[in-house]
Amino acid sequence: MSAAENLAASSAAIELRDLDKSFGLARIIQNVNLSVEPGERHAIIGPNGAGKSTLFNLITGKYAPTSGSVFMNGQSVSGLKPYEINRMGLSRSFQITNIFPKMTVFENIRCGLLWTMDYKYSFWHLVDRQTDLTARAEEILDQINLTARRNDLAGMLAYAEQRALEIGITIAGGADIIMLDEPCAGMSTSETQYIVGLIRKVTEGKTLIIVEHDMGVIFDLADRISVLVYGEILATDTPENIRGNEKVQEAYLGSAEE
Amino acid sequence: MSLFFVNILDGLVMGLLLFMLCSGLTLIFSMMGVLNFAHASFYMLGAYFAYQISTGIGFWPALIIAPVVVGVLGALVERYGLRRVHQYGHVPELIFTFGLALLIEEVVQFLWGKSQMAYEEPSALAFTAFSIAGNSFPAYKVFMIFVAMGIFLVLLYILTKTRVGMIIQAALSYPNTVQNLGHNVPLVFMGVFGVGTAMAGVAGVIAGPVLGTFPGMAFQLGSIVFVTIVVGGLGSLWGALIASLLIGWLQTFAAAYNVRMSDILISLGLERPADLAESALRDLWTLTLPQIGPILPYLLMVLILIMRPQGLLGKRET
Amino acid sequence: MTTSADSPLTAGTRSLVPLSSAMPWIIATVVLLALPFVFPSGAGLTIMNQMAITIVFALAYNMLLGQGGMLSFGHAVYMGLGGFFCMHLLNWVENDGLWLPLPLLPVFGGLFGLFFAFLIGGFSTRRAGTVFAMISLGVGELIAACSIIVVAFFGGEEGVSGDRTYGPEVLGVDFAQQSEVYYLIVCWMLLSTLAMYLFSRTPIGRITNAVRDNEERAEFLGYSQRHVRWISFCASGFFCGVAGALFAINLEILTEENLNTTQSGIILLLTFLGGVGFFVGPIVGAIVFTLLQTVLSLYTEIWQLYLGILFLATVMFFPNGLTGLMAMHIPSWKAGRLGLLMRPYAKMAVPALAFVFSAAAIMEILFHAREASVGSEEMTLYGMTFNSHGYAPLVIAAAVAAASLYLMKQIAPSVREAWSEANPVRGDS
Repeated sequence: MSAAENLAASSAAIELRDLDKSFGLARIIQNVNLSVEPGERHAIIGPNGAGKSTLFNLITGKYAPTSGSVFMNGQSVSGLKPYEINRMGLSRSFQITNIFPKMTVFENIRCGLLWTMDYKYSFWHLVDRQTDLTARAEEILDQINLTARRNDLAGMLAYAEQRALEIGITIAGGADIIMLDEPCAGMSTSETQYIVGLIRKVTEGKTLIIVEHDMGVIFDLADRISVLVYGEILATDTPENIRGNEKVQEAYLGSAEE
Repeated sequence: MSLFFVNILDGLVMGLLLFMLCSGLTLIFSMMGVLNFAHASFYMLGAYFAYQISTGIGFWPALIIAPVVVGVLGALVERYGLRRVHQYGHVPELIFTFGLALLIEEVVQFLWGKSQMAYEEPSALAFTAFSIAGNSFPAYKVFMIFVAMGIFLVLLYILTKTRVGMIIQAALSYPNTVQNLGHNVPLVFMGVFGVGTAMAGVAGVIAGPVLGTFPGMAFQLGSIVFVTIVVGGLGSLWGALIASLLIGWLQTFAAAYNVRMSDILISLGLERPADLAESALRDLWTLTLPQIGPILPYLLMVLILIMRPQGLLGKRET
Repeated sequence: MTTSADSPLTAGTRSLVPLSSAMPWIIATVVLLALPFVFPSGAGLTIMNQMAITIVFALAYNMLLGQGGMLSFGHAVYMGLGGFFCMHLLNWVENDGLWLPLPLLPVFGGLFGLFFAFLIGGFSTRRAGTVFAMISLGVGELIAACSIIVVAFFGGEEGVSGDRTYGPEVLGVDFAQQSEVYYLIVCWMLLSTLAMYLFSRTPIGRITNAVRDNEERAEFLGYSQRHVRWISFCASGFFCGVAGALFAINLEILTEENLNTTQSGIILLLTFLGGVGFFVGPIVGAIVFTLLQTVLSLYTEIWQLYLGILFLATVMFFPNGLTGLMAMHIPSWKAGRLGLLMRPYAKMAVPALAFVFSAAAIMEILFHAREASVGSEEMTLYGMTFNSHGYAPLVIAAAVAAASLYLMKQIAPSVREAWSEANPVRGDS
């Protein structure tokens, strides 16, 4: 990273600059510029195949950008590995439930805590003896209302509970920037309400970037919304303005008919 | 110079033989995600079956029948063994094929004993094809080159010109997507496994008389085969071809040229220690190229893994 | 919990007995200390020493396979290298007066194994699964092949031998007696087992499980999957080295056979047989395998064929191994319904045993008929002597096998019924 880039970097929690990603000939993300302020709840919406998940994977380091750069708190993170980005204070959930199904609920949360509570690669601590670890894990279990299922295998949980656990693992490490990929996908209305309440509670005071299809959730939760269509950002604005934006309506209605 | 030419041909024989195993292994791996540890065991079965058949009705019928029998056996293994273990994941599949390799070796010893079989080339081919300055080249090796080339061309034709070939190619470039194509995937898998093992069988039939037909032949060649596909890049057919030839020549030339380490060290200006037997470096001084020939493929693999982890032509990082 | 579709490698590190309490450890210690009084013969000690060393090796191997999901085909290398290094240390003690009490030798064997695991793990742990397996095989072959070339370290074909009794005496013991060696090995076995168990309860041990189950998720929790695998690879290498040192102390000789692929295959085989999803699995595997090997090789020449069949059957039908079979019965035992299964099991055992023995008889007869030299066509099997070249024995064995197979099919439904009765499906709460 050059000094000029460094200077130009803003104080944004996440900033994308001229971001491009191609797979072979297919250009999935085209020239995306976006800036998310610290403490902001930012939603990304768009029709299926618009590249929302790809954008997520670019920010979190799963893919390296073809060109352009990603800045986190003013530092370039393009090309860093997921674990390096995570250690800088960014955590994410997945569209498809991504937990440790053969471990207990408690252990799932504890795995999310180990790195940031400074246990790292330690082989001189016994996890069961670390009272701070257990206390913090139980606190989070309480937050996500899974205390009753503490000792059950995560794979045995109901779908909504697994989604809640996924959010629990994501926030466990105490990252400042939380990215949630369709946390309400495949849920009933009451379950959705429950998860939205949960997200609101656990991301208090943090930067949130969320991808979601359920417009109710988005307009309820987000401070600002970006609309992604065919890999390009069509508009970034407040929920009210997005609702009234003609271009957005056109793109959405157009794609809905296809 | 003439020795060089003979070595080029010898290395070609070895390389093509390796490729007959590697190509089947690569096809199976690319489509099913299973690295068939027992692949070389099917090669051994090919040799033993051919030996048994040739004692009865001769070499030429064996050349056809033995690979077919091996292929049918392979298909049965896929149908009744591998498919069952598939549900547990790739590592248990690998353990299954490893167990199969052990079992086949034991069964071969049970049926034919531990000693080498008197499996020899057909008398029709037991003559010298040509000789250059005293270095003769047997006709049987020429025949091996032709068989291997023929199989290679048939494979190329099937892969590029037929419908099944298209499916296989799709599977090669986009792993895990064949399921979505709507073909009878289990049948395709069984077929690919059968054909892959049959090709290993052909390799066994033609290599048996040259490399020897004995219970250890599977493991001897098998580990080289795995090294070859790692060097070439897992899942890459062209990579397998290049790596096969490379390793074939590497081994042949290393065995043929008696380069001594002590000569090199002395030419570098080092002095040979007087009490060599006591020196800790005595192995370095007595080292010769034919001696380290067998380990060169493994050294190559380690170097490739450090410098180019995806292999020569592999796309996926290993 | 242990349905048959449970992959053995993603099953949690379940324990049959609560190893976290002190009781199992105390019992094990007492039993191990008492064993030489039960089996005081030389042969008994030989087998027990071998078993204890194999347990250490198998547990170290399962740190990778069971805990980390890494299948190694060349793991004998780390044990062998540790052993060779210790042989040289013993020789330096004898010839150059190096001061090293024998009980400390395994520490150095372990460090040597760790050193090599660190070097090789640097590039081999980049990926898990198939790629890791292939690389481990290649590296294993490379080092096994080197053992013939680098005579200075590996001693060529005759290997390296030494004498363990030249070190300083410890509490007046010079380890010339086999029983003294037994206690030394058992101490190290207990220590290593405890250390490996505790390792699985440390942050790195837990994360090793997490990476095995879901490497992507672990990366997004701040952990480099590669570093996690590398560290557990090193830890495994250390305990393999300890096992190698114990081997050197026990037999006082190491050869190429100690690090070749056959040896690596055996450790995979017996670990899987015991059950890779359980901490005690490798221990069960090591004990059963050593006994099986000792007993079978006494009675038959084709014992390796039987082992091969047993191994393949385990992979196909009981992927959780012997320990998994036992663990299956815990729920019904806890519910007090295990008794329901005893009668059907006993009924099944009769034809099952008959089938095993008659099938083995067929193979023995065929083997004898092919192997026997001309003129010695007599063979003795199960106390009966007959001509192996006649058809009658074969026909009788085949008939018994077929009949017992038929009976097993008849009894199977009643066993299944008893099983579902002993393990009632809980209604959805």
